[in-house]
Amino acid sequence: MARAALWLFGGLIALFLVAPILVVMVTSLGSSSFMAFPPRDVSLHWYAHFLGSPQWIGPTLLSLRLAASVAVSATLLGTSAAIGLARGSFRGRAALEMFLISPMVVPVVVLALGLYFLFSGAHLLDHPLALWLGHTLLATPVALVLVRAGLRSTDRSLERAARSLGAGFWRTLRHVTLPAIRESVAAAAVFSFLVSFDEVVVAIFVGGPATTTLPKRMWESVRFETDPTLLAIATLLTLLAVAVLLLGAWLRPGRQT
Amino acid sequence: MPRPRVWRSAEGLLTLPALLFYLGVYLYPLARIVGWSLYDRGPTLKFYRAMASDPSLLHALGNTLSISLLSTALCLLLGYPLAYLIATAAPAAGRVLMLLVLVPFWTSILVRSFAWIVILGNHGLVNRALLAAGLIARPVRLLFNMTGVQTGMVHVLLPFMVLPLVAAMRRIDPNVLRIARSLGAVPRRAFLHVFLPLSLPGIAAGGALVFLLAVGFYVTPALLGGPGQITLATMIDMEITNFLDWGMAAMLGVVLMAVAGVLFAAFGALLGPRLVTGAE
Repeated sequence: MARAALWLFGGLIALFLVAPILVVMVTSLGSSSFMAFPPRDVSLHWYAHFLGSPQWIGPTLLSLRLAASVAVSATLLGTSAAIGLARGSFRGRAALEMFLISPMVVPVVVLALGLYFLFSGAHLLDHPLALWLGHTLLATPVALVLVRAGLRSTDRSLERAARSLGAGFWRTLRHVTLPAIRESVAAAAVFSFLVSFDEVVVAIFVGGPATTTLPKRMWESVRFETDPTLLAIATLLTLLAVAVLLLGAWLRPGRQT
Repeated sequence: MPRPRVWRSAEGLLTLPALLFYLGVYLYPLARIVGWSLYDRGPTLKFYRAMASDPSLLHALGNTLSISLLSTALCLLLGYPLAYLIATAAPAAGRVLMLLVLVPFWTSILVRSFAWIVILGNHGLVNRALLAAGLIARPVRLLFNMTGVQTGMVHVLLPFMVLPLVAAMRRIDPNVLRIARSLGAVPRRAFLHVFLPLSLPGIAAGGALVFLLAVGFYVTPALLGGPGQITLATMIDMEITNFLDWGMAAMLGVVLMAVAGVLFAAFGALLGPRLVTGAE
């Protein structure tokens, strides 16, 4: 009896978690501009509208390019640092690890404020480079944590064997260490992409009219007009997150979905 | 097998690129914030004095703390039963429930805040259902007030509570419960005196993490709150865009950093680096 009540309560909470997203998805299939739920008709009107309006497509393309660059830079920095932390032995290693993941717990608005000061001094506000650097800072800890977890599940004796057989540092890295953590590195790239593609606070602070990312455009729309095209975009972003999650679950060794 | 000394240091050097990047794009900007907060045509503490005396700033600080506390309490209240269900359900059912937690976890905060606007708006799903049922005569205001902010924040923060809780509950040896039962404890007693105390590390970790994140929240209060829900984070944006007051924004940034830093230091040992991601 208690178990049934627990399932009912737990089910309601799970519903609370997913219902908003489902409502948006279903509503996005209507064509009324009042965002009626349930929609009175089924159409792809708002999807067509999204694809047909330059004011949405421009920011989308910018966000795609930005996220792809961030995936590369954050994965390189994060993977390199993760290997250094896992395989190096030096004083202050634990402290360095805390430092390198600490951007995750600093409020994003504080990071964005610091970047705003930095880039206004460097005359880089409203410049793609500013967004790239800012998003790389947010994504690197994520990449680092994922690759670090991957390294924990690898067998170090293989590396030792390669070293004792005469392979140098770089050679071991390239032919033994990196192949062993391939999946984690790929997961790091995928999640770094998502971190940048969804990021809005840094985009608001250091972006401008010339560098309006998709989330920044959405932010403006939610605040000032609430364009129903947002329904279609929100649905597409959710599907992207689900795809990334599934890809990540498939790539991450020894992890559950 | 002894390893050459040089190799050890060479591998440690791989942390250098990230370290240098952080010095320029992370530490230096944070130092700039501290600098701006102490400077106004010469060194000054006036921004910090304002924090201690200005009613609107104190109001924002109070808002931030009360919103964060309430979010943490609600997340614990809702998250504990859900986590218990996930941790004790059959593996397949547990995985499905976990997926229901993880999909929102990775969905953009912007998308989720927008979803609440669609649902809680004057013409939204909830109001129309209540109107149709005849329970209300006019739409109830559910957005741009505390209800809106709390709903949105709990929705975003709940997974951060559930994931550490599930991790802690899965570490509890089921045999301990079986022994309690076989020694005559009724299920409720076994839960209260055995399971609940053993899950305390998860409660502490989840609670600390949720509170830490809630204090710095910007998007949800900005989109779902009204003038009465101004927090330190939304105040920073207002100082920059509306008042062009860099010193004030910087001081608020330092205060937020300090609050987050103290919380992180206090709970760091408890959380451990892995729990910070919420993904384990």
